Amino acid sequence: MLRYIATRSLVALFLVWIVVSVVFLLLHLIPGDPAELLLSQGNVAADPQAVAALREQMGLNAPLWQQYIDHMTGVLTGDLGASFRDGAPVIEQIALRLPRTLEVILAASLIATGIGVPLGTYAAIRADGKADAVISFFASASLSTPVFVVGSVVILIFAQKLQWLPAGGFTPFSEDPLEHLQLLLLPACTVALSLLAVITRMSRASVLEVLQRDYVRTARAKGLPRNPILRRHVVRNALIPVLTVLGLEMGTLIGGTVLVEFVFNWPGLSGYLVAAVDARDYPEVVGIVMTISVLFVFLNLVVDVVNALLDPRISLVR
Amino acid sequence: MTTRMNRRGFLATTGAAAGALSFLGPKALHAQDGGTLRFGLSTYPPSLDAWASNGTAAGTIKLMIHRGLLGYGPDGTMRGELAESWEVDDEGAWVFTLRDATWHDGTPVTSEDIAWNVLEAQKPDSAAYLQGQLAAITSVETPDEKTVRMVTDEPLAVLPGWFAHFNMPMIKKGEARDTTMGSGPFLYDSADRGVSISLSAWDGYYKDEMPKVSNIEAIVYADENLRVAALEAGDVDLVEYVPWQAMDQIEANDELALQATDGPFMYLTFNASRPPFDNPKVRQAVAHAIKREDIAAAAFYGRGGALEHLPIAEGSEFYNPELANSWNYDPEKAQALLAEAGYPDGFDCVMLSTAQYGMHQSTAEVCQAYLSMIGINVQLDLPEWSTRVKKGNEGTYDLAVMGTAAMNNDPDGLATVVDGSLSPSFVRSFGMETPEISELFARGRATFDTEERKAIYKELEEIAIDTVPVVGLSWRSQGYGMRANAEGFTVMPGQLVFYSGMTLEETVLG
Repeated sequence: MLRYIATRSLVALFLVWIVVSVVFLLLHLIPGDPAELLLSQGNVAADPQAVAALREQMGLNAPLWQQYIDHMTGVLTGDLGASFRDGAPVIEQIALRLPRTLEVILAASLIATGIGVPLGTYAAIRADGKADAVISFFASASLSTPVFVVGSVVILIFAQKLQWLPAGGFTPFSEDPLEHLQLLLLPACTVALSLLAVITRMSRASVLEVLQRDYVRTARAKGLPRNPILRRHVVRNALIPVLTVLGLEMGTLIGGTVLVEFVFNWPGLSGYLVAAVDARDYPEVVGIVMTISVLFVFLNLVVDVVNALLDPRISLVR
Repeated sequence: MTTRMNRRGFLATTGAAAGALSFLGPKALHAQDGGTLRFGLSTYPPSLDAWASNGTAAGTIKLMIHRGLLGYGPDGTMRGELAESWEVDDEGAWVFTLRDATWHDGTPVTSEDIAWNVLEAQKPDSAAYLQGQLAAITSVETPDEKTVRMVTDEPLAVLPGWFAHFNMPMIKKGEARDTTMGSGPFLYDSADRGVSISLSAWDGYYKDEMPKVSNIEAIVYADENLRVAALEAGDVDLVEYVPWQAMDQIEANDELALQATDGPFMYLTFNASRPPFDNPKVRQAVAHAIKREDIAAAAFYGRGGALEHLPIAEGSEFYNPELANSWNYDPEKAQALLAEAGYPDGFDCVMLSTAQYGMHQSTAEVCQAYLSMIGINVQLDLPEWSTRVKKGNEGTYDLAVMGTAAMNNDPDGLATVVDGSLSPSFVRSFGMETPEISELFARGRATFDTEERKAIYKELEEIAIDTVPVVGLSWRSQGYGMRANAEGFTVMPGQLVFYSGMTLEETVLG
């Protein structure tokens, strides 16, 4: 087991290195000059002399391999560099913003599993009935509605019309916990909606399958009441594939909440990445992409290990 | 299948999940302490470098923290800020007399501080927005603590305008350029990078009983629709960059008010380093081929006006009514000009714009449609903004859509758009030589008599109409939305619109 984790971690590190190198090189290949962009804010003409001076200051005049080696040396010593724009240390900014994105994803996952598993189970029990049809319809509808549409609609309803919740923004939990949670609610629900659809459908399929198993029939034949059968035998077993899907979905969301963050003005990691790409802030982009890829690879590893722990038939060692 | 979960059990499970959300309730009203103005910014300032051009959002924050020698009143007239008076002496140098003002640390603002700012910002590698202009100042003298004398090779009428610019505020001698300690009405308290900036009123400000609000919370709402939603929901009191499609909606709402001015403008730039746009006749043809009203309608929801001459606003004393429609929509004339230039059947070309901003793309699409009617077959190149800037600077286009605002309402501010003697930039045409225009700009700068200046800029506009260094397309309305209780904030006229943050010192929350 430990050996398996060690090998997988090494492969993961190699993957992260590849990702970071490719991103670093791609960034320098695409057009756009960070110095020029910074100095022409507000659509004004940047002075070429000033641009040259700033490029020198940013270290962009060194040969690419030199920049690459410098950057990688920094990364290995835990220094992700500083923002081209205002000199803010990249690692600090990531540490500040990553938890915010994770918070939305976690809240969305809780909402989605809290509602999706019972809903999917209910649909499976009533398979091919009216309730099943209604639930499946809503699952398909919410899966096919883009988050920016859902986001805009919930803002219109809950912030502009009903005025129950703020339209968007962020307040640190330490400053005002209640407002923090209020602000978290709409983005979390928006992300949760499409996740909910996935989980509902997955739970439905999985429960349906488990319901056909011999041990369920045996339990019923023994005369066990419905609810204990569902709780102890059906749902618990049906959860394994649901959890696998949830883990993978969460991984995808780490870099994929950008639209939700934009629509709700939630200052997380994805929005930060887009702003950094727009400004061609190389150190920021590389730092963020590295963080996301580390997390993604790590999450995959965790899912594999957890599956093995849950089901002894899955062997990790070849 | 007879195994069933009963309805009660199902409801209990989902009910428990919903119960976890019980903190959802009527929105608690934000504390109305009567003193915190919440300002919805369009973007987080990339930096607060005092002298650099870091965008209009940064400009607004700088106008809260800092003050320059001069500034503008709500009606757009120039007024003294750190300088009480300013005049040209017998030798043609500008002399500024400082008022009694102090920095946020309580020390007085002295002539030595001012001289240091000028000398630092004019250094060739300063990357200051006005570095090029300030380089004309050959020496800065400080005969006493309250007097600053700026000497130039020849007298310069436009020099005060530089020191009124929000990218030329004064900072204390020796401070870092991105210092947040200034002499303006608000103290910079804290910032959550990318999210918000908190400021509080400074009681040592040199204007009595100002600022009127006790705090400002500047919160970034990058999405324009959310910015409007936040205003409507009462999350903020004032927002900048109201999207044009929301202007009607804000005007129709009794609880909100809209203030807007036609300031920034859209125009076409050319690559004059190669055919066909090296030929002024072809550029003239383009100028006459496009129906401007359609641009205002398509890109700005009708919130803009036709611009058929150089961008000199109707309210300006330098406005020439007889030239205002010189580039009118006249497809036959355009066709004739094209034939005269040797392209009777038109030609193919590439128009650079950007898909990142809807107004740039819509403007390009309308131009494309109209140019096709006179036989110019335009292929659109719509990269994201950073690439568009790069391509513009390098001249990898035939013609391009651009939008900007001039430095101020003085026609000299147009030099950045039409003066071909300046370095290549995406805001100007590429490879366009404009020797007569450059010379007239220089003469205009050195002339103090208003009537004489009017004549110079009229001649300049006539030459521009003929040689077409750029083609004016449309004014665009620049608006601020506010809640009815936010009073005293005034949108300044025309090109000064982005200086409006200066009136935050007068803003009150009713």
